[in-house]
Amino acid sequence: MAKRRVYLDNSATTPVDPRVAAAMSRAVVETFGNASSVHGFGQQARAAVDRARREVGGLIGAKQNEIVFTSGGTEANNLAIRGLCEAAASHGRHVITSAIEHPSVAGVCKELEKRGWDVTRLPVYENGIVRVEDVNNALRPDTVLITIMLANNEIGTVQPIREIGGLVREKKNLWLHTDAVQAAGRLPLNVDELGCDLLTMSAHKLYAPKGIGALYVRRGVRLHGQNVGGHQERERRAGTENVPGIVAFGEAAKLAREELEQRSAHDRMLRDKFEAQVRSRIKDVVMNGDREQRLGHLSNISFRFIEGEGLLINLDLEGVAVSTGSACSSGTLEPSPVIRALGVNDELARGSIRFSFGKDNTEDDVDYAVEVLSQAVERLRALSPLTLVT
Amino acid sequence: MPYSAQFKDHLAHPRNVGQLPDATAVADEKNPVCGDRLRLSLIIKDNRIETARYLAYGCPPTLVCGSVLTELIIGKTTVEARKLTRADLLNAIGGLPSRKHHAASLAIETLKSALQDLQNPVKPGQG
Repeated sequence: MAKRRVYLDNSATTPVDPRVAAAMSRAVVETFGNASSVHGFGQQARAAVDRARREVGGLIGAKQNEIVFTSGGTEANNLAIRGLCEAAASHGRHVITSAIEHPSVAGVCKELEKRGWDVTRLPVYENGIVRVEDVNNALRPDTVLITIMLANNEIGTVQPIREIGGLVREKKNLWLHTDAVQAAGRLPLNVDELGCDLLTMSAHKLYAPKGIGALYVRRGVRLHGQNVGGHQERERRAGTENVPGIVAFGEAAKLAREELEQRSAHDRMLRDKFEAQVRSRIKDVVMNGDREQRLGHLSNISFRFIEGEGLLINLDLEGVAVSTGSACSSGTLEPSPVIRALGVNDELARGSIRFSFGKDNTEDDVDYAVEVLSQAVERLRALSPLTLVT
Repeated sequence: MPYSAQFKDHLAHPRNVGQLPDATAVADEKNPVCGDRLRLSLIIKDNRIETARYLAYGCPPTLVCGSVLTELIIGKTTVEARKLTRADLLNAIGGLPSRKHHAASLAIETLKSALQDLQNPVKPGQG
């Protein structure tokens, strides 16, 4: 079998769409003005930023002036949580989150605890989904923020944000943030239907370059800016706008909206074909996360008796790029916290691999990936003492 | 620090994999913290390691250390093998990031334990 290069790590980042790259290149060269300048060059940049803002807002049903551009998802999550909590601290100092958040949310929550805030981390169950009744039970009079991701980055499970949004809507001085970095561009999203006040997006997950993201801030929601020293982004994020990045994000958002249905169907078809082939060719596998309530492009699988990183490198040597959430360093076992939150044992958590498909993948990619995967699993299992009956 | 070419080669093509039914020394050691495991089977004749096989579970450095260790010890006398250090193994691999040195430690411990085992010979069928 001829060696190929197959990129199955589209949840980590996506290849830049040539149409997005073209729009960005034009902006780099032609739209160099500072968007805050009053002269023609500046106004040209301002117009480009506004057009992009409309497109990014349009992807989630938001108005143009509800979009704050940031350097990416991590900054948007920091701005959302810190910014809201600082602005709302007089109403209470309790935050509800989940056990499977991205480190950029989990890390900020940990920081809040150090500053004396209470944080409730809701469990997920075997299916990797938070229960709405748990959210309801965790609510306190001093709860000001619920921050729960829309779709998980490792197992793709989609959380019941719309139902949680329903709870929030009935309460005063309670706001809902959702990290939609994995979901934006992959699921049809509407902030009014979700009932969220803040929503995070990242451009490089939807075929745009790295270094640009956005936070949706519902009109009327008060937020303390984290970057100060400039009036940009309606005082929410000081700093000269990254015009080429913003233009790229705008183009990517427009394409994602126009092509969402066909991209989703394509990704799901590849993912389902992949999972069916894995099941038929490889024994002792566990598919992680809910089978229905999950993103269509992602598959997270634990391979018994072997560890994820060894499998990852073996696949990489054959040109197939995937991810594992587990890491072993300094002799300390660090199985993926997300997989552990599903209640599985360390061995399964260490053997978990994420395969994430994208619009540029083909059925041939799936066939090749399954072929090298089954060989690599067989090779590593031949090496494993865990297969011995002891 | 990226993994060396020889590291990747051992990972893709591990040497001396398996067990020895007629092993004269066997050791199975586990890193209690991270769960990595290495099982070494040896045939020793006239104080010389004639054959070695290994099985391993854990992160790539653990798998590779097992493979490289077997290559290092086959043909050595037990006295020479006892003198092998973690540094010798790391050199043979082309180096490892310091946070992964525990993999080389596990391999050397397993070797020492197998050689220790010589005083308690393996019963047939246990290798």
